[in-house]
Amino acid sequence: MVVSNLQQQRLVTEQLRREAAIKRMPVSLAVKDIIKYITEHEQDDCLLVGFSSQRVNPFREKTPFF
Amino acid sequence: MPPKSDPELTALRKELEELYKNLQEEQKKYQDGTLQELCESVGPAPKVRLTTRKLMKGHLNKVNSVHYSGDSRHCVTGSLDGKLIIWDTYTGNKMQIIPLRSAWVMSVAYSNSGNLVACGGMDNMCTVYDLNNKDANGVAKMVRELAGYDGFLSSCRFLNDKTIITGSGDMKICKWDLETGRKISDFIAHNGDVVSISLSPDGNSFITGSVDKTCRLWDVREEKPKQTFFGHDADVNSVCFHPSGYAFATGSEDKSARMFDIRSDQQIAVYKPPSQNSGFTSCGLSLSGRILFCGSDDNNIHMWDSLKNQHNGKN
Repeated sequence: MVVSNLQQQRLVTEQLRREAAIKRMPVSLAVKDIIKYITEHEQDDCLLVGFSSQRVNPFREKTPFF
Repeated sequence: MPPKSDPELTALRKELEELYKNLQEEQKKYQDGTLQELCESVGPAPKVRLTTRKLMKGHLNKVNSVHYSGDSRHCVTGSLDGKLIIWDTYTGNKMQIIPLRSAWVMSVAYSNSGNLVACGGMDNMCTVYDLNNKDANGVAKMVRELAGYDGFLSSCRFLNDKTIITGSGDMKICKWDLETGRKISDFIAHNGDVVSISLSPDGNSFITGSVDKTCRLWDVREEKPKQTFFGHDADVNSVCFHPSGYAFATGSEDKSARMFDIRSDQQIAVYKPPSQNSGFTSCGLSLSGRILFCGSDDNNIHMWDSLKNQHNGKN
């Protein structure tokens, strides 16, 4: 990190000390929650499951009779 | 004679290096698996072929920025042709066209409510328009011109109809009160241009990406970052919060996309296409967070199953 003077350097060090002190969670537990969220919302994600019929796709081509 | 502060500066620098090394060791302690390994038992992502549903023509020059309204139907685009266009993406129709004072627009934002749009760029300003308040010609009125930046406006996001945050080339984040037109706060956010901002789903925090290769997590009420994420080897060009709020994705000049997890405070995945030719300029996640999309300098959109780290193809 490039810092131009003593005061700035002190601030950078203080900030890093603050960040180093935070509580962390093991990656395995954190990822469990991500997987859970994705699985729960999979059915709403039309880029994954598509549309039950094109009539419910809001982006479909619309005919003049619609 | 060397300056008197030198020994202290040297000592501080050494402390910084030590702190950084300790931080990395701490993070490693919590790395009890990679995202890919931990998702081995997850079923494969269903394969859906992507089709272009709408080709929205209208701009006469590069489109630099796009942002959707909270209704997931309307979006605003900003182009070097000096115009903002508000589109109804269900029909492909143009709802409004707003001519800009400066053609050098680099970033646009749509408020969640759909009432306001903002834009800015090389004019070093952020201009806000009220889509419901039109002038005699039927063009949305400019309601705020937010000036005072020492660099180009690279990114902007409405926290709500009364507040906007911006990232700029002067390495700062600024927060503005739109009712008074006054700056609420401004602070140095990175060691380089701030290029991208992504709001958390709950609106309480945001991620910034910078040319200093890092991303930072901020609480909207505070001026000091909560966490800094290292990993990229070059400019981070785009950041996108995961819909779960637990993680975020990034696209970078270093030709990779990555996933960072907030609670374990580290990078959990690196995504690369089969042939790594170009940097990624934008990124986004599907509604569930399963699919990662990145726009690339190779004129393609690359897609990955974010959990199994499988490149799904390109368009």
